[in-house]
Amino acid sequence: MINHLKKLLSGKNTIILVPYLWFILLVAIPLSIVLKISLSEMSATSVADMLSWSQGWPTIKINFASYLFLATDPLYIDTYLSSIKYALLTTLICLFVGFPFAYFMARAPKHLQPMLLMLIMLPFWTSFLLRIYAWKTLLVSNGIINNALLSFGVINQPLAMMNNSFSLVLGMVYSYLPFMILPLYANLSKLDVRFLEAAADLGASAFKTFWLVTVPLSKAGIIAGSMLVFIPAVGEYVIPELLGGSDTLMIGRVLWDEFFANNDWPMASAVAVVMMLLILLPISLLNSYQSGQAESKL
Amino acid sequence: MATEPKPNKVKTDLLRVEGVTKVFDGVIKAVDNVSLTVAQAEIFALLGGSGSGKSTLLRLLAGFEKPTKGRIFLAGQDITDLPPYQRPINMMFQSYALFPHLTVWQNIAFGLQRDHMPKAQIAERVESMLKLVQLTSFAQRKPHQLSGGQQQRVALARSLAKQPKLLLLDEPLGALDKKLREKTQVELVGIIEEVGVTCVLVTHDQEEAMTMASTIAVMHEGTILQTGTPDEVYERPNSRQVAEFIGDVNIFEGQIETYAADHVLIRSEACMHFVMHGISGHVGLPVLVAVRPEKVVLSKKRPAGEVNWCSGEVVAVVYFGDHTIYHIQLANAQVIKAQQMNSTTDLAEVIAWGDQVYASWSGLAMVVLVQ
Repeated sequence: MINHLKKLLSGKNTIILVPYLWFILLVAIPLSIVLKISLSEMSATSVADMLSWSQGWPTIKINFASYLFLATDPLYIDTYLSSIKYALLTTLICLFVGFPFAYFMARAPKHLQPMLLMLIMLPFWTSFLLRIYAWKTLLVSNGIINNALLSFGVINQPLAMMNNSFSLVLGMVYSYLPFMILPLYANLSKLDVRFLEAAADLGASAFKTFWLVTVPLSKAGIIAGSMLVFIPAVGEYVIPELLGGSDTLMIGRVLWDEFFANNDWPMASAVAVVMMLLILLPISLLNSYQSGQAESKL
Repeated sequence: MATEPKPNKVKTDLLRVEGVTKVFDGVIKAVDNVSLTVAQAEIFALLGGSGSGKSTLLRLLAGFEKPTKGRIFLAGQDITDLPPYQRPINMMFQSYALFPHLTVWQNIAFGLQRDHMPKAQIAERVESMLKLVQLTSFAQRKPHQLSGGQQQRVALARSLAKQPKLLLLDEPLGALDKKLREKTQVELVGIIEEVGVTCVLVTHDQEEAMTMASTIAVMHEGTILQTGTPDEVYERPNSRQVAEFIGDVNIFEGQIETYAADHVLIRSEACMHFVMHGISGHVGLPVLVAVRPEKVVLSKKRPAGEVNWCSGEVVAVVYFGDHTIYHIQLANAQVIKAQQMNSTTDLAEVIAWGDQVYASWSGLAMVVLVQ
């Protein structure tokens, strides 16, 4: 028995224990609580207990009302769709901006690359909130950009750049661009130049080489970067709150409203659970793709 | 070791390199004023150590680098300024650079598709290439599912698919193990000769150059030291570097003592050398006498005559099975090597460690190099 325990607590297992504990305490338990709340009812101002005792027997009451409401009320469906739309748009723009960025970083002289990497990560040294606020002062009607354009006579009246989808997507692209660039850079810097030379040697122009060799070979980086941008972008709350407008509905704000304005915790939890499922779907697709890749390499 | 050269047809020059120099970063001369011609259907080897400029020269031919000076002509056309994708030249890359995301079939078809060849024709060409390299049943595999030898053949098929005027091989056998290399050498030359393509290959392996090439250019520090057939560069090297780079060699430093019409006597510290074939020089001229180890005969008995032999003590015996290489320390502390075929099993005749032996060679075995 003691030997068995010793075996269980051997070095290898205790190391594994740390991530497992982390996962159970900070992911699995909170998630189960959210799931539980989403299946409960509201009673007055607090969440009703699922478990009740009637005539000495425990009764479990599961309430799907929140989910049903979610599926029938167009507000939620529209919000999910628009969240996905903005997240996709952000991901695409990040990809188109980030790919050349990462490409030239990976092709830059070796001694410059650490510095370029540091420049990419430099924004993280300032608080995320401060940086989003800074965009506000740049974009508002009497902000720096509009004032400059007005004083140079480029425009007659301030451009509407704030509290609309433009400011929202700009803020998201700005915030998430490093998460696209870093995995792409990691991938592209490992890309063997000889593949590009071989393509050129076989008659492919630079453009063809890019589409036929560089892009397919950096697929893993593109997928990783896109996931890192898309997933947090779907649930983004701060950016739509600060830079978005009334017409740029995103699920993070709805979630906030359900929790803190409507005080409807089951509804809020249901919204969160469905959002998570929406995000889990692309992740599991990615996983199956990657394990498929790993298998084909064996 | 070289395969017998084919009966000489009328040779036309296909590739002409004229005074090509490549300078990197403004200072490093990777290739220094190199000129060479490669005849139609010839296998031409650029042989040299690392940093000799052979790879840079190959990259200049492929178009990945632009020469700082000089011109490159292919079949009379100046291709110096053509980008790689417009040159009728294909390259088989070192460690192959097969596209990992494409199948064998797609790899071979890649170049043909870039030329917008009709689909049916592409399929036909790919099939014939697969047949040529005997990989028909592997068409749908990905490169990582193939062995090293198979990958090498795919790379060859891919570089031959477009029927280039010139095929470049960058260390074609470098990624294979020794056993496979010997087999592949023969296969490779067979395929190249079957196709009849002119070929420039780069290698650091003199054996590879000797077995595959009909002409070898020995490169050192960006210049070509000597160009010739394999036996020319082996038997009649024109410099110490060439002699030492290709095969093993014993070098005696000496000077001309007698300069006669029919022979030359050279005195080195170790012995007197009687050379029968003529060299240009004069009495007192310092020269090097080079003798290949396989041309040295070892004996425990003193040879007749006073020239072309020396004596010493065996200080090392390196056994190879079919032959043995003896290291013999001479009186002047110089160590020479002698290679003897192990044609006898009679132990009494076998020369052993510590034996006093006489090393001799014929008057025709020596090459005299004027510094």
